[in-house]
Amino acid sequence: MAPKSDLQTLATGSGVSDGSDQSSIDPIFHLLRILPFSFLRPPRLRLRIPSFTLPSPMTVYALILLTYFLVVSGFVYDVIVEPPGIGSTQDPITGTIRPVVFMSGRVNGQYIIEGLSSGFMFVLGGIGIVMLDLALDKNKAKSVKASYAVAGVSSIVIGYVMSMLFIRIKIPGYLH
Amino acid sequence: MIHEFDPYFNYRTTLFLTEKGFYEFWNWFDSESWYPLGRIIGGTLYPGLMVTAALIYWALRFLRFFVHIREVCVLTAPFFASNTTLVAYFFGKEIWDTGAGLVAAVLIAICPGYISRSVAGSYDNEAVAIFALLLTFYLFVKAVNTGSLAWALGSAFGYFYMVSAWGGYVFIINLVPLYVLVLLITGRYSMRLYIAYNCMYILGMLLAMQIRFVGFQHVQSGEHMGAMGVFLLMQVFYFLDWVKYQLNDTKLFQTFLRITVTSAILVGGIALGVGTASGYISPWTGRFYSLLDPTYAKDHIPIIASVSEHQPTAWSSFMFDYHILLFLFPAGLYFCFKRLSDATIFIVMYGLTSLYFAGVMVRLILVATPAVCLISAIAVSATVKNLTSLLRTKQKVSQTGSTKGAGSSKASSKVTLDQSQPFQKNGASALLVGVFYLLSRYAIHCTWVTSEAYSSPSIVLAARGAHGNRILFDDYREAYYWLRQNTPTDAKIMSWWDYGYQITAMGNRTVIVDNNTWNNTHIATVGRAMSSNEDEAYEIMRSLDVNYVLVVFGGVTGYSSDDINKFLWMVRIGGGVFPVIKEPDYLVNGEFRVDKGASPKMLNCLMYKLCYYRFGELTTEYGKPPGYDRARGGEIGNKDIKLEHLEEAYTTSNWIVRIYRVKPPTNRL
Repeated sequence: MAPKSDLQTLATGSGVSDGSDQSSIDPIFHLLRILPFSFLRPPRLRLRIPSFTLPSPMTVYALILLTYFLVVSGFVYDVIVEPPGIGSTQDPITGTIRPVVFMSGRVNGQYIIEGLSSGFMFVLGGIGIVMLDLALDKNKAKSVKASYAVAGVSSIVIGYVMSMLFIRIKIPGYLH
Repeated sequence: MIHEFDPYFNYRTTLFLTEKGFYEFWNWFDSESWYPLGRIIGGTLYPGLMVTAALIYWALRFLRFFVHIREVCVLTAPFFASNTTLVAYFFGKEIWDTGAGLVAAVLIAICPGYISRSVAGSYDNEAVAIFALLLTFYLFVKAVNTGSLAWALGSAFGYFYMVSAWGGYVFIINLVPLYVLVLLITGRYSMRLYIAYNCMYILGMLLAMQIRFVGFQHVQSGEHMGAMGVFLLMQVFYFLDWVKYQLNDTKLFQTFLRITVTSAILVGGIALGVGTASGYISPWTGRFYSLLDPTYAKDHIPIIASVSEHQPTAWSSFMFDYHILLFLFPAGLYFCFKRLSDATIFIVMYGLTSLYFAGVMVRLILVATPAVCLISAIAVSATVKNLTSLLRTKQKVSQTGSTKGAGSSKASSKVTLDQSQPFQKNGASALLVGVFYLLSRYAIHCTWVTSEAYSSPSIVLAARGAHGNRILFDDYREAYYWLRQNTPTDAKIMSWWDYGYQITAMGNRTVIVDNNTWNNTHIATVGRAMSSNEDEAYEIMRSLDVNYVLVVFGGVTGYSSDDINKFLWMVRIGGGVFPVIKEPDYLVNGEFRVDKGASPKMLNCLMYKLCYYRFGELTTEYGKPPGYDRARGGEIGNKDIKLEHLEEAYTTSNWIVRIYRVKPPTNRL
């Protein structure tokens, strides 16, 4: 802080508003003015204190949606337990290795890919509801509203149907 | 019937409280567990649950309803779950509107994430703790919205109830300061916030210190320092506001602002550094540190890592416990961000932090459930409002269109509107039907999950017989009652720590280690005894004065949560303290086997011998050789087991629980 205000007193008309002039009340400023800067000449720089603006709510919402996707996909589970990306079984008759997408047998176990795809379905469903709300915004053209509505409804339907399908594959006795 | 393991301890302490009174309970030193150390129960438990149940019991007795305390304990959880539903309604009303409150109450009433810990019989701390959590949050948000001292006082008392009920109060004491910080950053500082937070923090802290288990942690523990830091920051904000009001010069104020903020942060940082370095402020305990760094427990604290509830969450657990709430949650977040206010910021933060922690540990899905239900309720309420307003405006516009009639230039546009309106109206009603369909599917899912997964008491096991009929295995209680009736009263039982509470409560005998797991070395000693061969184990058992050993074995019934499947954790925990126990000794090529190819150390260890004693003669399944272990799916390796220092005392009817008597040492010649 001290060198900058020193610069303001030395340079003329830099236009920075928070200048402290010769009658500054800051003791450290006066000390620094005497000790190094009576014989050192600070260079002429055009620096600005970086201004900190808060991001808009929708930006924050987008970031949050991304972290929600990661958490619900079981990302922490993937990092700690380190399951394989996709499982495999050996066909008993032919001996070939077949991939297994869903880890069966336990509710609290997953492979990485199945986690990510399920998380994507949840987020898709959520975005569908958001698009439905955007479709009712009065300030848009009719066709835009209609396409938002169609996209929203189809996202919800796809997300819900796929999630039900996944859970039925994962837990064989689901709803019986 | 009381379910699971921990509720048995809570039941025993509540029984003690109702029989002996509050002062005896508060000063209770229990010598029946953790032999020979004993346990200071008065100072190491959270009394909220027991005191609540005892108060209900005494109230009913006062009204001359002479119920048994066990009935009160079993039904405490559902009673408080209903109270939580009420609080959820008021909270939803506070955040959004009455519609959201109603939907929130309905959602949380049947949500499996909450039901899992509030079924009748689940007499555990979380039963009342979630009620206290939601109540505290509701009262605090109400205080921030109104700025009233009375609501802030209420939230302080709610916090006190939470501290008395559950160790998870650390979540409140960190979330509320974080919320205050976010409000300060987004420029929402106000006098209401100042009043609410100050009152809640100071009074809540003083009240929390009344609980012996918590003690002075609010000023000494690293987990509570965030709250204190934010408290001091609020004072700085208030001071700056006052100075700004006094000073009429903005430039001078800016300088003053910069100096004050810098020096406040510096002073705070130095104080924190000095406190931590000198050891006055203790660092974060392992349980909570593993929430911030999930890999910590796996590497350093095997006891925390071994509990199945502490595993990280997979997507299917989320789906199982939340169903369509997982879709509604991001939509609800969107609506909250559209209409930002102090209250919606709070619920967003609560939802996000609790959902992250639920991702780290399965058991914390319970803490996230109220937030997820509330935010989903906002989504449902807002969407339904949008759709129904679509339905309603159509009728209004079509009425004005019909009354205006023909004869103006606007008529043509109204006619075109009329043509699209029926389509929109049909669409809106179709979507409403869709919403109700989704909610009904949610209800069906919740009912199915509750009946299939969350209704079992875990102490009585059930399985499907060959013809689809249900068979019950009541072996646990059979073994505990055998202990109660056939062993001397001062007998000491050694078992793995899972069963300690149940043995003390139902068998009424002294145990070596139990579920409190406060002494890792003691548990490691038991683990070492179980993993050593019989002679070394006998020495350890003689040093602990053990009279009986209890093991759980699932080879005959196919029960998979038995001691052989938990054995590797005994090795790891024992090996963590006694390096003589090495895990690779018990594995073959990294694989855990009990058949002929098992490692010799495994075939000779005490746990193996006790579980499989006389098992080699038993035929368990048609078409398989004798000694076929149904839980591991293989024939055991060592069938001819001879025990030198122990003798079999009792095996239950389905071989699930096996009890052995430790023989006294032979006389020296």
